[in-house]
Amino acid sequence: MIKPAKITSVLVVVLSLAGITFAQKKDPPGAVDPGVQTASRGTGATIIVTDPNGYLSFFENGLARFQEVETVSKSANVGLGPRFNSNQCSSCHAFPAVGGTGAAVNPQFEFVSDGVAPDSTTPSFITANGPTREARFPFFFNSNGTVNTSAPNGGVEDLFTVSGRPDAGTCKLAQPPFAHALATNNVIFRIPTPTFGLGLVENLDDSTLLKNQQSNLKNNFGIAGTFNHNGNDGTISRFGWKAQNKSLQLFAGEAYNVEMGITNEIFNNERPLPEEDQLGTGLPANCLNLGGIGYPEDETNPLSSPNAAVLDDVSAFANFMRFLAPPKPGSVVLNGTTVPAATIAAGKALFSAIGCATCHNPTPGTTQASDFDPELSNQPVNAFSDIEIHHMGTGLADNVSQGGAGGEQFRTAPLWGLGQRIFLLHDGRTTNLITAIQAHASSGSEANTVISNFNSLTAAEQQEVLDFLRSL
Amino acid sequence: MRSRFLCSVLVFASSLGSPAWAQSAAGQSSTKNGDVPENPSAMTKVPTGVILVKGAWSSASDSSTPVPEGGSVTDNVFTNTYFGITYPLPKNWTEKYKGPPPSDSGSYVLAQIQPSDDYKGPSRGNILITAQDLFFTSLPTTNAVDLTAYEKENLQSDYKLEPSPVAGKIAGRPFTSFAYWSPAAELHWYVLATEIRCHAVEFILTSRDTKLLGSFVEDMNKMQLPAEASPDKGEGGGAFPVCIKDYANEENLIARVDPILTDHRYTSVPVRIIIDKNGKVKHIHFLSAYPDQTKVITDALAEWKFKPYLKDGQPVEVETGILFGRPQIAPAPRKGQKPSVE
Repeated sequence: MIKPAKITSVLVVVLSLAGITFAQKKDPPGAVDPGVQTASRGTGATIIVTDPNGYLSFFENGLARFQEVETVSKSANVGLGPRFNSNQCSSCHAFPAVGGTGAAVNPQFEFVSDGVAPDSTTPSFITANGPTREARFPFFFNSNGTVNTSAPNGGVEDLFTVSGRPDAGTCKLAQPPFAHALATNNVIFRIPTPTFGLGLVENLDDSTLLKNQQSNLKNNFGIAGTFNHNGNDGTISRFGWKAQNKSLQLFAGEAYNVEMGITNEIFNNERPLPEEDQLGTGLPANCLNLGGIGYPEDETNPLSSPNAAVLDDVSAFANFMRFLAPPKPGSVVLNGTTVPAATIAAGKALFSAIGCATCHNPTPGTTQASDFDPELSNQPVNAFSDIEIHHMGTGLADNVSQGGAGGEQFRTAPLWGLGQRIFLLHDGRTTNLITAIQAHASSGSEANTVISNFNSLTAAEQQEVLDFLRSL
Repeated sequence: MRSRFLCSVLVFASSLGSPAWAQSAAGQSSTKNGDVPENPSAMTKVPTGVILVKGAWSSASDSSTPVPEGGSVTDNVFTNTYFGITYPLPKNWTEKYKGPPPSDSGSYVLAQIQPSDDYKGPSRGNILITAQDLFFTSLPTTNAVDLTAYEKENLQSDYKLEPSPVAGKIAGRPFTSFAYWSPAAELHWYVLATEIRCHAVEFILTSRDTKLLGSFVEDMNKMQLPAEASPDKGEGGGAFPVCIKDYANEENLIARVDPILTDHRYTSVPVRIIIDKNGKVKHIHFLSAYPDQTKVITDALAEWKFKPYLKDGQPVEVETGILFGRPQIAPAPRKGQKPSVE
């Protein structure tokens, strides 16, 4: 029997120990990362209060679909694969509540043993307590296995295949050559972006973001970001690690196709690996239409009721994310003691004074009027991000271009909810906030001067900054 | 997704082969998942710490003409040939990291100077040397004096102004300056600016220790700057081309072919050119452009012809800026200034 991915509530319990352990083990002398905070920050709740337009039921329907376990065939939720990273949105967007980012226990680690991907080999970079990940090869390989650095790839290399599943027929697929990619340094990782509060981000008008950019244009930190743009209409795109996606609908549609292999109304065709696409081989015929329903595997359901059931999954996912409330700041516990509010406030002031807030802008703007819901209208977006993409240097570069963003440009990661994130940076390379901060400095990074300022602070002041960050 | 519990699985007899390097599907080969045959030549690694896939980036039509971002630190001396700056660094301070590429609004990080690993001093800090191309800024500034005035007027609430640390010249050249500090971080910023080749060049000194900052200011007298360096009139000339804003206008252009940017990047492409004495474009510097934009613009500029610019009756080289692609936001007027009327 194919088991669903791990349930979030279980992970919360595990994490309450694991997160703190990480911090205590790895923190350098001096300031200490308070680690993942366990008290609720309101994540997982909806932003909807008055609901004059009836979207609450759409949110709840989207939440339910977000947690559905997809199968290849023979169930109510078919279409998984033939390649995938997970079989359930909420298995990756798991923590601290459904819609978040990766949990302390990585469900991908058990996919081979629990029958989700029985014939696959778990890549070595997927570990039991490591970050939930997707992998990309920055460059294509030549036919002899050498890396062709003049042929950028950057597409997602799905970790698993449906081969061996009883619902996958005769489909037999090889996984991408992950061991070889590791040996040739031709693989990078991404962790799931949390989706709390994204309805607010979606509803920021371009002019608001441009005005914020203009107000920060002259700074004395050497920072000068730009925006990624949607190729279709030229407006500012804003979702994903490189701000490559324009809307939540697009974000959901791409993820459904790329991460789970489920074709939909936005991404209609089965997705081969980038190299299969490049070579024109595509997917084998016996790995197509495994759901037996034709394409797309997710579409509108005209005959269903109630209203929310008419929507396709992608629209339902988008509604779920759109109406997820942003995380609320909360108190911080460090070594068993609650950090005084004055310390948090001092940390916030330092965070701004040394230049962090130039990019991690507490409130880049206020939303425009929303026709969805009044709670999305005229609201400050306390995301701690300017939504711009910035040069982050050789230390964070992943040599993957997305839209207008180059291999070392990343969107300023929103920091709301940071107090309850386990894995940090785009690839989840660390659980330690100090390590993540220091990783902002390297050749070519816009953040170098800010990090130098951070390093000018005393350990006690750095502690205040860390405490503040974990209050978000 | 609609509810479909059971659908027939279509099985096709044939399957397309995998690339030779790919790990084989289970049951199709004895090759273990994730492996490829041992082959030393196949193990060439992607270099770490190298940015191979670039987005919009700076480039130039030739490698011999200096560009603003081309400075470097050698033997503890920062040298920038484009700006004619030679700046001996304080002892045991160094450039640990190179700065980012210039921005599409003409902002440069020329150098970031920090304490070296050997530094034993009691106070830390940093020296940030920046340049703002005054041809491309969307700030309401036309020279370094304007820029620092704008900064002072728009200082964030985190900071408070304090008396300027500089009176008179630095390294024999006039500077404009101001200072501020953060009560929260107890950090002080000294901003010293001048203008060279129509760029506002700023030395931004930061530390908690004002004594240290004072010594930095004193050390700056060891700098060498070009004769034109002046906060309100660094307009080239001498060893440099004369820099003139918006020189590429109808009045001065004899021949012009517009580049056709085919890819909808939706970006601004700021370009500085040097026009030779005969009116031809002799050098192109792209501050921020994608490779396809670079090629198209380079091809177009080869066809451009200007009237020779005369100074004292003699033709001289001219440096100007052209913004291709997406227009920039019009600068908002400074406080107390009326919006300009087109």
